[in-house]
Amino acid sequence: MTTTDSDVLNVRAAAHRARRRSKIAYTLYLVFGLAVFFLLWQLIASPISPLFYLIPPPLDAFRHFAENLMFSQRMVDRFVHACPELLDELEVTGGGMFDLPDYCFGYILHLVRTTRNIMIAVTLGTVFGLSVGLSSLVFPRIADVVTPIAGFFGTTPIFIAAPFFVIWFGIEYPLMTTVGVVVFYTTLLMYFFSRRAADNIPVGIIESALTLGGDRRSIFRWVYLPGTIPEIAGGFRIALAGAWGLGTLVEVLGPQMGGGFLIRMWSFAMGLLEGPSAVVSLILFFGVLAVVVDGILVLVIRYITRWSEAGRKLGL
Amino acid sequence: MSTVVNFENLWCVFEHRSGQLVHALEDVNFSVDSGEFVCVVGRSGHGKTTLLRVLAGLQPPTAGAVKLGDTAVTGPGSDRAMVFQQDTVFPWLHVRENVEFGLRANRLPEDERNEITDYWLSAVGLEEFADSWPRELSGGMRKRVALASAMAVGSDVVLMDEPFGSLDYFTRRNLHEVLLNLWFETKKTIFFVTHDIEEALILADRVVLLAEGKLVDDIAVTLPRPRNEDVRATPEAVGIFKLILAHLGITEEEATQA
Repeated sequence: MTTTDSDVLNVRAAAHRARRRSKIAYTLYLVFGLAVFFLLWQLIASPISPLFYLIPPPLDAFRHFAENLMFSQRMVDRFVHACPELLDELEVTGGGMFDLPDYCFGYILHLVRTTRNIMIAVTLGTVFGLSVGLSSLVFPRIADVVTPIAGFFGTTPIFIAAPFFVIWFGIEYPLMTTVGVVVFYTTLLMYFFSRRAADNIPVGIIESALTLGGDRRSIFRWVYLPGTIPEIAGGFRIALAGAWGLGTLVEVLGPQMGGGFLIRMWSFAMGLLEGPSAVVSLILFFGVLAVVVDGILVLVIRYITRWSEAGRKLGL
Repeated sequence: MSTVVNFENLWCVFEHRSGQLVHALEDVNFSVDSGEFVCVVGRSGHGKTTLLRVLAGLQPPTAGAVKLGDTAVTGPGSDRAMVFQQDTVFPWLHVRENVEFGLRANRLPEDERNEITDYWLSAVGLEEFADSWPRELSGGMRKRVALASAMAVGSDVVLMDEPFGSLDYFTRRNLHEVLLNLWFETKKTIFFVTHDIEEALILADRVVLLAEGKLVDDIAVTLPRPRNEDVRATPEAVGIFKLILAHLGITEEEATQA
C-alpha cells in the first residue's frame, strides 16, 4: 500500500481538527470553571449562608466597582481627607476640594497609583537584582560578597519586613513605602533567580564554549544571557505576581493612597451595606489585573524563549 | 609529519571525599603527529576523559605537561576544539549561529564568518537546517552541529569525547562516515575517546590503550580504508581486536555479551 497526497492531506486535516477540538475543550473548561466560581460565590453570599454579611453577591461587587470607579460620593464624604497627594494638589491650585476633577474622587486614581508604583518597583528591583546577579557571573567575587547578605535577608519573610518599611518611610510617603518593599523583595528574588539560572546551565555547554575560543565577554553575551532567560523570566512572573499582593498589602498597612488604602478604609465600614462590596470588588480588580498582566507576559516570554520546548509550552 | 601533541610524564591525581587519592592518569607519555587519527580506548573510569580534558585545558595536570608544539597547555582555547559526549549545542542559538559561535568569539569579520559557516554546514549536510532551532533536530543532527562548530573554528587538533556514544547504531555509522570524510579533507589531528573497540577499528590510525590511568599499549592500525565489515573481519583486524581485549582484561565471552 502506498501513501498518496490525499492521505497526507487527510492526516493533516485530522491533526488540525484534533488541535481545534483541544482548544475548544480548553475554552469550555475555562468557562465552566468561571461559572462554578460565580455560582459558589452567589451561594456563599445568599441569605442562607453564615457569611452573608461579609461576602456580597457578585453583581453587587461589580456594580459598586463600576459606580465608584470614576467618581465616588462616598469618598468625598468620608475618605478624601486622608489622601495627602490630593490635598497637596488642592493647596497648589489654591482652590477648594470641589475644584478637583471628578476622577480625583474615584477609585481610578488610587488604582492607577498602585499599578504605577508596583510597575516602577518591579522594574527597579529587576534591574538591581539582575545587574548584581548577572555581574556576578562575570566577576564571581561579587557573588561571594552578595550571596551571604542576600541569603540573610532572603530568609526574612517579606511579610515580616513589610511593616518595618511602613514605619521607616512613614505613611506620608506612599511611593517610597510601597516601592521600597517591592523593590526589596524583587531585587532579592531576581538575584537568586539569575544565580540559579546560571547554575542550571550545563557545565558541558560552558566548557564547549571555552574550547571554541569563548572568553568571558562572549560567553556572557552568547551563553549566560540567552541561557538564563527562561528561568529569569519565570522568576519575573513570580516576582510580579507577588508584587501585586505585597504592594497592596503595604498600602493596607499604612500609606494614604492606592488600592490597598481603599481596602483599609472600606474595611472600617464592613458592617455597612457597601463595605463588603467595596473590599471584594477591589480585591477582584487586583486579581484580574494580575492575571491580565501575567497573560501578556506569558505571550512575550513564549516569543523570547521560542527556542525552548518547555518555554513554549509553559510560557516560562 | 611533525609532532603536534606531546604528553610528558603526565599525572593526574584526585583526592576523593574520603581522603583517598585516585590516580586518574599515571605517568602517561606519548606523542601524536600532525593529521593522525588517534583513538583513546579503555574501560569506564580508567582515565580516557581525564586525558582529553587535560589536553583541552579544562583540567590542570597534577604533574607533567601536555605540550602543543613547544607550548605547554595551560587553559582551553580554540586551537583544541572539543566535541563532548553530552549534548552541548547551544539550544538558544539557531544552527547557523551555533556553527558561527567560535568564529564570532574569535572576532572574525562577518563576511568571512558567513563563508566558513556555509561551508561547514554544507560539509555536514545541514545547509537546509541553518535556520532551525536545535530542538527541531534529531540527536544525530545535533551531533553534526557540534562537529561543524568544532571544525569551523579552524583548530588543527579536534578532541572528541565519546561523541556518538548516545546514538543508535545506524546514526553512529552514518556519523563515522561524515567524520572520516571531514578528516580526509582537512587532515586535522583527531583525538577520539571511546570504549567501543569496533568504533576505534573503524576510525583510528592509532589506538592508545589506557588501563587504570596507565598507558598500556599504543597500537598502529594499518587496516585499509574504508573499514567495512569485510575489512574488520580480516585476521589482522581480529588480531588487533583480541589484543585490545586482552589489554583491557576483557574475555571474549564478556565482549560478546557486551
